[in-house]
This record gives sequence, structure tokens and C-alpha cells, in this order.
Amino acid sequence: MKIRTFALLVSLLLAVLSSPAQATQEEDHSGHDHAPGMHGVPQSETAANWPESVVHQFELLAVQDGGRVKPLYTFGSFALLRMNAKRSVKLYEDTDAERKIGSSVWLLDLMVHPGIASTYENFSVSDPEVIEAMGLSVPGKKARDRYSFNELRPGLVKLEELKQQYGKIDPKVRTGLQSQVVDLYQNALSFTDLAGHFDFAGVQIPITGSTALQEFFPGREAVRFSEVLRRLPELKQLYVVLGGTPGAEAQAQEIERVLGFAETLAIRTQRVALIPPLGSADDAPAWLTPFDLFDRAWDGQPVAPEHLAAVQQMETLIDAAQNPAAFEAALGALTGTLKELASPRGESGKVASEVGFYNAKLLWKGLYSFILAFVVTSVMWLVPKNRLVYRAAIALTVIGTAFLIGAIVWRCILRGRPPVSTLYETILFITAVGCTVALVTEWIGRRRIALSAAAFLGMGGVFLANRYEWFDKQDTMPSLMAVLDTNFWLATHVTSITVGYAAGMLAALLGSIFLIAKVLRLKREDKGFYTALTRMTYGVLAFGLIFSIVGTILGGIWANDSWGRFWGWDPKENGALLICLAQIAILHGRMSGFLRAYGIAMAAAFQGTVVAFSWWGVNLLGVGLHSYGFTSGIKTVLLGYYIVQWGIVALGSVAWLIERAEKRAIAEAKSSSQAGGSASLVPSDLA
Amino acid sequence: MNDSSASREPGAQGQDSDRNGPAQSPLMAVVNLFSSLRLAMSLLVMLAILTLLGTLAQQSMGLLDAQKKYFESWYLVHSFGSVPVPLPGGRLVMTLLTVNILVGGLARLRKGPRMAGIMITHIGIVVLIVSGAVKTWFAVDGHVTLYEGEEAAHFQSFYDPELSISRVIGDGEVEEFTIPSTAFDLATGAEPVVLSDERLPFDIEVSYYASNVMAQRKGPMFEVPTPVVGGMFLAALPRAKEAEGNAAGAYITTVDKSTRERTSDLAWGMSAPGFEPGPFTVHAEGGPWLVDLRKERYSMPFTLRLDDFQKREHPRTNMPSWFSSDVTLDEAGAEREVQISMNKPLRDQGLVVFQASWGPQGARPGTDLFSTFQVVRNPSDKWPLWSCIIIATGMLQHFLSKLWRHIGGELKRARA
Repeated sequence: MKIRTFALLVSLLLAVLSSPAQATQEEDHSGHDHAPGMHGVPQSETAANWPESVVHQFELLAVQDGGRVKPLYTFGSFALLRMNAKRSVKLYEDTDAERKIGSSVWLLDLMVHPGIASTYENFSVSDPEVIEAMGLSVPGKKARDRYSFNELRPGLVKLEELKQQYGKIDPKVRTGLQSQVVDLYQNALSFTDLAGHFDFAGVQIPITGSTALQEFFPGREAVRFSEVLRRLPELKQLYVVLGGTPGAEAQAQEIERVLGFAETLAIRTQRVALIPPLGSADDAPAWLTPFDLFDRAWDGQPVAPEHLAAVQQMETLIDAAQNPAAFEAALGALTGTLKELASPRGESGKVASEVGFYNAKLLWKGLYSFILAFVVTSVMWLVPKNRLVYRAAIALTVIGTAFLIGAIVWRCILRGRPPVSTLYETILFITAVGCTVALVTEWIGRRRIALSAAAFLGMGGVFLANRYEWFDKQDTMPSLMAVLDTNFWLATHVTSITVGYAAGMLAALLGSIFLIAKVLRLKREDKGFYTALTRMTYGVLAFGLIFSIVGTILGGIWANDSWGRFWGWDPKENGALLICLAQIAILHGRMSGFLRAYGIAMAAAFQGTVVAFSWWGVNLLGVGLHSYGFTSGIKTVLLGYYIVQWGIVALGSVAWLIERAEKRAIAEAKSSSQAGGSASLVPSDLA
Repeated sequence: MNDSSASREPGAQGQDSDRNGPAQSPLMAVVNLFSSLRLAMSLLVMLAILTLLGTLAQQSMGLLDAQKKYFESWYLVHSFGSVPVPLPGGRLVMTLLTVNILVGGLARLRKGPRMAGIMITHIGIVVLIVSGAVKTWFAVDGHVTLYEGEEAAHFQSFYDPELSISRVIGDGEVEEFTIPSTAFDLATGAEPVVLSDERLPFDIEVSYYASNVMAQRKGPMFEVPTPVVGGMFLAALPRAKEAEGNAAGAYITTVDKSTRERTSDLAWGMSAPGFEPGPFTVHAEGGPWLVDLRKERYSMPFTLRLDDFQKREHPRTNMPSWFSSDVTLDEAGAEREVQISMNKPLRDQGLVVFQASWGPQGARPGTDLFSTFQVVRNPSDKWPLWSCIIIATGMLQHFLSKLWRHIGGELKRARA
């Protein structure tokens, strides 16, 4: 009965713990999810109920950001995640109802109707002291709450002062308040940049102050940015001529004002590069903004007709902001122009696929499958002879693993890279490999243990990946630093070493199951249970050792080719060596007979912390050549894992000592019973 | 941790099996000890502990010093808080491990098809260890930094200083004598170490040597414990956390062998604004002679000229995506153009030249950039690759055959 109660409790606890976290992160871009309002906060209004087709077309627009071309969908979703700590925004349309919009609608509103987006509560502030430090007091807010730009606006000057002060402090030693001030400032800056992006397209620049300008633009009282851009070299020439003409200085100053105004508008476009340049991606890799076009035109480079057309279409788009049908038509025209520019460069092909990847939500589906699988595997232990439940557990785990592998493969295609090139991807890959190895182990042994481990590992791994993404809040498909830009070594060394990590973690899980079962005195009557667990642990360790050793040596060979030395005792290299040493020591301990069932389980469970140290811990040290990747939010999780594993090993040691004492007592009782025929003092179930 | 439910590896445990047997000869006892699987396990655990301590120590003492203390030592004392604990050094542990593998993992390993994989794996590990030893004892490495158009026929150590005494002997040919810092690095006080060579017309006295110093101007408001030469003195600094940042310095006095004339100056391995120590000149027979304290130099069998350095960043970011150097190798008049880039080094005549870095940091567009190459002469350059292939082969053979047998058994059990 004990194992049944335990399994149910754990599965329910994990299912409850997993759900809210998922709910806070899952995005929803449909914008039609109504729920009762909880806040007594100022209401917001949305600019428009954008048709789904407009939102979809908008999120498919390509933008160059972080060194790569990506859809606005991705750009917007991570921008909102950074600001709002989730990928949706709640709007309060009246006191009793709220409406949730996704990141694409939010970005569309922000760029097209910034005034209204300024009322959206999309700045998450978890420390009220930040608001106090800004000199603000917003009534009706909880200690941890969300604020609109309009609510923060009165404190922005103070926020900038604080940022100047705290920005000089090394990020590693900033306090929580200081970090949040810097982050909030960056988010506010990002918000204003995005809000001001299309200012250039919506503003008419008055020219009535200069007769020279009115002659230059006959019959016009104001001109569009695109008109200034098109004739910028001539305007500049006119400015120079008038500036050197006695009595015409005022005219020159007016031209200077107009050009300065246009430049000010253009400057605000720098964050979003939507315009592909002419020529190949090798010759002209950087995409352009209206500011870049202005800058080049100022330097005498004429604006290409295609680029001018794109700028004019952006103006048409903003002109049509209040007319959904016209807006959709203008968006279609702009999309067509930008695609025509991007296609010959081979840079638009994967944009739609990337949006498809995110919309497919494979990882969420995988997580749901693993949670269900874990619940069903728990039930499976309650009804061990029910083949239907066993098959359902296998099916759900296989489906979860398939979703996970599908997500990894899709990412590989999108990135044109092997499966692992970032820390985030190590989590996905290690989880997928761990689940696959566990499923194969289950197929070989069919003892339900590896199946349960696969479901648990899958659920924990995907959950961890989601948490990592949430903590990091950065694009999970970033550009790679120069030394990592090699698919050969990523495919060989990195893949091998992460397969080794996966096997190490799975072995630790199997060892932990052994020890927990022993501590809880489960399956005492089933000797085959523990023998099978030990064999599985050994097999997984052996599998992992091959990849750990080969991966580590391949890493040395890569280092020899990149940095001129095979081995440099760098922390990450040492971490890999520690895994190899731990796994070799366990196998040698088993060979020598020093480690048997208990010992192998304890060593394997401990070895999990060695893998975790190599995987994450060494990055926290902040030294060495491998200290890349975000790790600050993972420290608590890592320490928690260490404590849990060491606790399991300690409890396992106690269980081993108790079991040994009991066996001795039984042996002594048996021998005395044989000698004197007295009754046994030991309970019969221990015999 | 013994338990009856796990079996021992068949065939591999011969080394431990005779502990309860008849009395052994002392020689056999030693052989048994060094071939023991338990010794292997203990050494592996010890090496793991050293690796962990050496890794954590890098936070406070930097990589090179931690490497020397934990991995390149025969013994060490590690402080756990305020408690000093003596430990075997990495060199000792790895040496014993090598002996253990040779004796227990190869010589005394039970021979047979089932142990073939383990045998092959151990051979691969020995090759790996030997390649590491060859690298430690025979390899040299350093760097050469060039601006476009510059060339060099030598590279310079990252760490080790040396004293150089040179003169021009005609047609631009230079005669040079070098003295490694190990010959004078104990001259840390006023008492000099005297260096003498019959080919030189003067003796050299080295005093106040320090591995990391800063040349400073002596002001009127303070006194210094070291000599002042030309208004400058050498202020000792703590060793830099990253050892390549150390700049050694010393006071050098030359004593002419015939006239006993003394010439003193300070030598410092790094230039500074307003103070360019460089080599100082000694006028003596056959001279003038130049005396310099600098990082150790090694000659290359060719001249390396940087023709063009290129770097690319990921568009609209400051993150470098690629950088490369177009160089010309002049080998005794025969020129050859080569491109060196990240992950694509140049291998020529036993030297490997890597694209290491570039600078100066924060260079604005249009600024002249330099390219830094790491240069390594390592006789065992490719041995790790061979060892990797051998180890992978051995492990795959061993574990796949075991897995095959295990699957067969399990499937038979499942069917039954």
C-alpha cells in the first residue's frame, strides 16, 4: 500500500505545481479570452479588435534582431516577456471583465496605436521599492504588480537617474533592487522605442516657414518623411547654398530644422530593422531602418526605389490605422515589398516556419503528455497487472518524447544547426535523450521502472526548459559567438557530451529511485525489482560513459584546434573530467566488488550532482573560457538539486546500515535458533 | 556497500582476488597493490577531489596558479577554511594512475575476447596520458601579435620571463644570449644573483627581482625600499589573477670584466606611458650590448607576415561572428599565402598557429587592428585524436557486446 499512496501523492503534487507555472507563461494571441476581472485598476481600451488575418500577417513580417532574421512574432513575444514576465497582457475593459491579448496584438497596438498601448499594464514590477524609488505612489496596486507606461511616466526621469547610478555597478554584485531598476529602465526604453517606431510615418513635417522649401516642394504646406528622404541630397545641397548666401541664413535654418526633425523621427526607428538591403546577405548583411536610409542619403547614397517604396508603404499603413480594411491592404503591400527584397537573399524562407514552430506549441504539448504520463505511471503502480494502464503510460510517454524530439528537430531546421548550441537547448536535448534511453531500457526490461523514470524526467526537463526561458527572457535561437560557429564540433563534441549528461542524469534518477524505494521499504518482497534497477543503472552509466569520455576528448581536440591546447584545466573541461572520473570510478567499484547494489545506487545518485555541477555549476563560477550562457536564475534550482540528491544518498546510507543490521540479526537469530531451537526475534517480513 | 544482488565483472577482478590467498612475496604484494582495482578507484576519487578543488580555487587564484598547485604538483596543502590538509598532488595521482593502468589494466588484465574492449580502452587512455606528458615536458606555446604589414620570426611566451643580452655583429645579424628567469628568480632582495658567461665581456648582477611589478616615478614626498634609477623605481605588485598579466622586473647591474665598471638600470617587462624600459645599453668589449628583461621568446622556422586582418560581426550587433588573418609565410625565401581563422589553424613544420584574438578592445571603425596568434609547438598534437578513436572503439566493443548479451537475456526472460 505504501508505494501506491506515495505514487499518488507525488503525481498529484507535481501536477498541481506544474499547472500554474504553465498558465502564467503560455501565450495567447487570439485576444478573445474573457475572464472575470480581479483588479480595481484603471481601465484600458484596445485600439482595435484586429482581425486574425491582420495579426497573422503582421507577426509574419521579418525583422533582423540579435544578428538574425526572425519574425516579428518572436521579436514581440520576447520583448513582452522581458517587460511583463509573460507573453500576454490583460486589459480591463470594464470593472468586471478583462481581456487578454497576446504578444503580436500587443506589439501591433504598441507600434500603431502607442497612445492606447501606454495604458496597458505591461511592466511587471516584483519589488514595490522600485516604484517608491521612482517617487511614485500608484493606488490600488499589490506589492508585486503590473504597471502601465502612463503610470510609470511621472517617475521616468528619476528612473533614468537611478539607472545611471546603478548601471555603473557590476551586474554580478548589484542588489535585487538595483537590478530591477536597470531592467525596468531598459524595458521602458524598449517600450518608447517601439512606440515611436512609426512616428516618422505618421507625421507631416511643416514647411511653411521657408519659401525656399515651399518652392522646393511646390504647393505643399507639409511633407512626409519619405519625400524628405527621396530628395535629401538635393535638400542638403540647397541648405549648403542658402547657408552661404548672404541674407538667406533664415531659409537655411528652416531647412536645417526640417532635416533635423526628419532625423529625429528616423532615430526612433533604430530598434526594428524591417528593410532588407539590396545585394547578397554576404555583401550587405545588415538590414536597414528608415534611419539607416536617412543616414546613407545624407552621405550622398541615393535611396533605392524599393526602399523608398517600403517607407512610403509604412506611411500608408499608419494612415490607414483607423480603417481595418485599408490597414490590411496596406500591410499586404508592405509585406510583399519586404518579401521581394528578402527572398533573393535567402532570408525569408524560415520566418513562417518559425511562427509555425511557436504556434504549434510542441513543448507545451510534450509537457502535458509527460504530466499525464506521470499520473498514469503512478496509477500503473496501483494496478500493476492492468496492461491497459501500462500501455497508456507507454503511449503518453512516447507521445511526450515525440513532441520533444519534434521540437528539437524543428529548431535544428530553423537554425541550420545541430541540436545543441545553447544552454537552453542542452535542457531539451538532455531530456529527449534521457527519455529515449529510459524508454529503450523499458523496452528491454519491461519492469515499469524506466518508464516511470522517463515520464518523470520528461516532465521535469520540459518544465525546467520553460522556467529557463522565462528566467532568461532572451531569444532561444540566438546568434553564436565566433568560436561556436562550427557545425562539425557542435554536432560531435557538444552532442556527445550532452548525451553523456543525459545518461548521467538518468542514472542518478534510477539510483535515487532505488534508494527512495529502500528507504520507504517498498517492494521488499520483489527481489527482481532491485536487481533490475541496479542493472539499469549500470547499463545507463556505461552508455553515458562512452559519450562522456568521447565527448570530453573531442572537446579537447576542438580546443586544440581553436585555442591551441588540448587541455587547459578550464572549469568546464574539469566538469566534464569529473563526470568521466565519477562514472569510471563507479564502474571500477562495481568491477572490484566494492560497490554492489546499494553502493552503485548511492554513487549514481551522487554522480547526478557531479553532472549538474558540470552542466550548470561551473558556469556560476564566472571563470574560464566556457562561461557563456545565462545561469543567474538557475542557482537556486541547482542548490536544491544538490540538497535533494545528497539527502537521498544520506537516507540511503541509513537504510543500508539498518538493512545490514537487520540481516545480521536475522543471521544470528537463525544460527541461535539452529543451535538452541529458540524462536526468532525478527519480524518475518525481513527474513 | 556490498550487496549480493549485483555481480562483479567477470574476468577483470583478478588483481583483487588473491588478498585472501597464500602469503605473497614482497614483489607480488607491490604488484598486486599497483594493479588493484581498489587502488584505481581510490586514485580516480582522489583525482576527482583534486579536480573539484582546483576548479573552485580558480575563482580566487586564477587558472595558472591553480593549475600549478593542484594538477602539476606532487603534493599540496589545501586549506579547508582554516584547517590545512596535506593532499597528494595531481602529478603524483596521475603517475600512480598510469602505473595502475599499465600494471593492472594491461599487463595483468585477464586476456580473452570478453576483456578485449577493456584492454583497447586502457591502451587508448595510456596514449592519452602519454600525449599529455609529452605536451607537458616538450611543448612550448606563446603568442605573436602583428598589425597589418608587420612580420615576426619568433613567438613569445605568455608567462615566463627571460633575460636577453644581445649585440649586432654585422650585416644586421644579431648575436643573442638568453637566461631563463629560473636562474635569477630567487634574487628578490638586495643580495644579487651573479650571472656569468665566458662569452660575455661583463658579469650580470640581478637584484630585487619580482614576478609582477609596476615602474613608478619616485616623488619627493615618500621613500621607497628599492633603488631609484633615473627617477624611477619598481614597485612590487601581487601576482595577477591571470598569470599572463604579470610583468616581471628587476635591478640589473653589469660589471665589466676588464675595467670593473658598473652599469645599473632597471628592467621591466612591460612598457608604460612616460616610461619605456625596453633594453638598456651597456658599452663593453664587442658592444654595444643590449640587456632586456622580457617574456621568453622562441624562434619560428618561418617568418609570419600579416597581410590582412578581417573581422565580421553578426549584423546589427557587436558580437563577432568570424575573424581571420591572411598571412604570408616566408620559408627561406619561398613565400606562401595562408588564411588563419577561428577553428582553422595553420600547421607547418611542427608549429601550429591559431587565430586567438584581435584588438585593440573597443576599436572604432577605421582604427588599425592587430591580430594575435597563439603559436604552439607540440610533438603530441594529434595523439589525443588517436586516443579518442582507440577509446571509443574499445568501449563500444565492450559495452555493445555486454548489451547484446543483456538484451538477449532480458527478452528471453520477458518471453518466458
